[in-house]
Amino acid sequence: MHGSGRALIATALIALCGVARADDPTPDAGVPPDAPAPPPADAPAPPPEAAAPIKVSGRVIDDKGKPVKGATVKVENSTATTTTDAKGRFTIDAPVGATLVITSEKLGAGLASVTGAALEDTVLLQDVANEEIEVSGEAPISSTGTAQLNREELQRIPGTGGDVVRALNAMPGVVNVQIPLGYSGVVIRGASPQDSRFLIDDFEVPVLFHPFGLRAIVPTESIQSLTYVPGSFDVAYGRSSSGIVLLTSRPGSDTRSTQAEVSLVDGGLIAQGPIGKDTRYMFGLRRSVIDFVLPAIIPDTVDLSLTTVPQYWDEQLRIDYKLDSKWDLSVSSVGTDDVFELYTTKDEDAKTKRFYSRTRFIRLTPAARYHEGEWTTTLALSGMVQELDAEIGLYQRLIVQNPQVTPRATVTRTSSEAAGLRDVVWSSGAEAQIGYSDVDMAIPLERREGEPYPPYDPKDTATHFMGSVWVHDYAAWTSLAASFTPRIRLTNGVRLEYFGRPRETAIQPRAEMQLRLTDQLTSRFGAGFYRRPPEFQSEFLQKDVKSERATQTTMGVEYTPIPGLRLQGSLYYTDRTALITHNPDGTLGNNGRGTSKGAELLAMLYTGEWFGWVGYSYSHSVRVDEIGGPERLFDYDQPHSLNIAGSWKRGRWQLGARFNLYSGLPYTPVVGAELDSDRNLFIPTPGPVNSERAPLHHQVDIRVDYSWKWGPTQLLAFLDIQNVYLNRTVVTYFYSYDYSQRSAFETLPLIPSIGLRGTF
Amino acid sequence: MRRLAILILAAGCGGAIDPEWQLDHDRVIAVRADPPRIASGQTSTLDALLGRKGMAPFVADPESAMVVSPMRFAGALRQEGQQWVVTAPAVADLDAARSELGLEPGVPVPLRVRVTFSLDQSATKIIWLGELVQNPVLDPITIDGMDGLMLAELDVGVAVDVPLAVELDPEVYDIEWLTSCGTMHDFDLPHAYLRVEPEDPQSGSLAIVARDNVGGVSWRVWSVTAH
Repeated sequence: MHGSGRALIATALIALCGVARADDPTPDAGVPPDAPAPPPADAPAPPPEAAAPIKVSGRVIDDKGKPVKGATVKVENSTATTTTDAKGRFTIDAPVGATLVITSEKLGAGLASVTGAALEDTVLLQDVANEEIEVSGEAPISSTGTAQLNREELQRIPGTGGDVVRALNAMPGVVNVQIPLGYSGVVIRGASPQDSRFLIDDFEVPVLFHPFGLRAIVPTESIQSLTYVPGSFDVAYGRSSSGIVLLTSRPGSDTRSTQAEVSLVDGGLIAQGPIGKDTRYMFGLRRSVIDFVLPAIIPDTVDLSLTTVPQYWDEQLRIDYKLDSKWDLSVSSVGTDDVFELYTTKDEDAKTKRFYSRTRFIRLTPAARYHEGEWTTTLALSGMVQELDAEIGLYQRLIVQNPQVTPRATVTRTSSEAAGLRDVVWSSGAEAQIGYSDVDMAIPLERREGEPYPPYDPKDTATHFMGSVWVHDYAAWTSLAASFTPRIRLTNGVRLEYFGRPRETAIQPRAEMQLRLTDQLTSRFGAGFYRRPPEFQSEFLQKDVKSERATQTTMGVEYTPIPGLRLQGSLYYTDRTALITHNPDGTLGNNGRGTSKGAELLAMLYTGEWFGWVGYSYSHSVRVDEIGGPERLFDYDQPHSLNIAGSWKRGRWQLGARFNLYSGLPYTPVVGAELDSDRNLFIPTPGPVNSERAPLHHQVDIRVDYSWKWGPTQLLAFLDIQNVYLNRTVVTYFYSYDYSQRSAFETLPLIPSIGLRGTF
Repeated sequence: MRRLAILILAAGCGGAIDPEWQLDHDRVIAVRADPPRIASGQTSTLDALLGRKGMAPFVADPESAMVVSPMRFAGALRQEGQQWVVTAPAVADLDAARSELGLEPGVPVPLRVRVTFSLDQSATKIIWLGELVQNPVLDPITIDGMDGLMLAELDVGVAVDVPLAVELDPEVYDIEWLTSCGTMHDFDLPHAYLRVEPEDPQSGSLAIVARDNVGGVSWRVWSVTAH
């Protein structure tokens, strides 16, 4: 794990300046490149930096990790020029803070900022969808087990239906939950969905998937890259006791284009391009089409009235404006609106049989970034309005309206040498998350992790609340990263958080040591403290419930034996305390504790036409729910998960296949039941918690892409089929109303996904 | 395409389980205390409607019964012949129980009993002590346009919707229509309908069970033949 500045700049640059990412996070010294956005060719030149030139060396690679030979490297505003050698390497005299303009006849242009004597690899990244060149001087967040993938790489993973966020389940450590319905998060390293955070351009979003789980709320084409950090993330991020997923939105390109895509599930448009010479925009809009299809495929004999057929809208907006050579401004927005209403009867007057759900939010983030010499500052003020409305029958409802505002500021200073140390990066930041929740709640006692599913009682409103709650959390952090020798780099940081609702202060020191054993082999050791504030479900209604705590320890190696091949492995151990559980009286307390341990392996291969991926993870997660209580498995404990994917691309065709094998999840059997005659409910008697496990599942997914030109339009059609050999495995069991019978919920036998995309 | 979509949607669920309205199933359907609320010195008798696979539902006395709570009233339950009977304790004892349970003065005291039946089946039922309330009356009931209370056996058509109606407020009453002949639609609404397809069993039973919000329960059972 590198310093927070590195992580922050990596994402802030992408968000604010429209630069893409670097693939290879094994740089010489781990210095943030601070690459500003590429100015237009005729843009006024920035003023020269005052610092004296130093000898700067670096490497230029393409998005497959291959060295770019013969690329021209020029110091902006200077006559100094050189070219890269056969290994893509170059050396040039330039002052710290200067911008290097790198051009390649084949791959176009890229920029990198001089932050020290040894630079990160600069990736010249080709934007395949628009056949234009994006530029990069970025390295991904550096942490053990981290994987960063761009849009094209993720789209090549079969079995995702072209949805890059669903490709997350190919990452080692991500639990494959198999049942997509109602799934709105990511489960990392055997924890719970609420323990991980999902951020778009550095700000949290409340949901990740639409309720039916088939689609992420952000379409593939509006995503620039996805960074998966399973643990030991640096101090710039918090509010998570497990891992984080960072998504960067796609900046508009320098040429105007419109892209339309339609599939059986939804259709959308993305428009992008320049406005004048200093502004670029990207706007995306998507709407479900499944609501047109669904009524036609529901048999008339089913007792169902879809009064509002499930439908959703998604929007994305991003505008980047280069104010001058030092200031970059941006505005971005992401939003979704999901609604459906049904009656489990043909009688639409039967309010006892009504189910209504609406989930919507919109987040708007204006931001500014200032960069001059060794200093970089980002300022952002993000506002979000969220509404959840779920109503079941006559009595049960959960209606929450939640406006919130999140200011965030960071400052980073990079020095090639300070106090005898090299490539020093100091970074600090602060943010606040201030929200107001208007709550109307009348629901049964919420199920907590490991608790048996209660019988459905439409009259049960044991948890009820009507009122308003302020939730205000504050955080500040600082970190320092420096190379003690060319092979040893240390990052130390601390994050201070104050959770306003429980009035709790949390001090979370984190550290990582990077040991570069050879040019190809790097090992990392990380440790840190993490907190998840009590804001899941109705946790925030109880002021005496404190945050959940985790102490994470990781160790890993990264090996790049040849260009294009990358191997990484990691071991982790997480100790979890103060886990929130139910007290015997139904209130919540911090009485649980648990551990997660495991190993992860990831191999990625890019060799021209071929893309290969092997990911394996072993995990074991156990917990106790009360002092002296029995140890049990976490709900999402998944010991084994293996993903082997391959893709071949030539000419107009791209073919891919993925083999997927993973353990079933644990479940709690029901050993008996008794009728509560007055409530007309059978009350189950659960067996030992999570004492049984669904069987191992395996399947093969395939994907075929074909692209062609039709007049001025570039077309791409794809067919993505999951589980081609129709392997059906028990996922879990659903019990009958009296628990005397159970029915296996099996993996879906075959899921085809067909889509057509046109760019013009 | 339509068949494919149905297949995909339905594929997630494996083997069938009996729906809640299925009478051809081993279960305790309802336990009745008659009356459900009694004043001091009054008695209430326990029985139950049971479902058994391959049989018509029938009323049975519990094989055994015991007080679950409050245990100070364990002696209020006794067996008289085959029947289990609850006798409400004296007013002073009820006041003492209210005090012990933290109840307001004068409110009925819940006596929870567990009853068991054959096939190792059990159920719990609350008898309210301190006031007298009778079980609900199911009237009127309309079946296929006819007065259901005047019928003991029903003849219904095949592949036609047979309307069933009971005039009870669904916000007050928990209603269940059950059958072992055909498919019951809207089984938990006052207005339901029965449909017997040619491939369904052509004879069986129809039942309605209604529970009010003060512990009362009533049922009625008919035999059904489809033609």
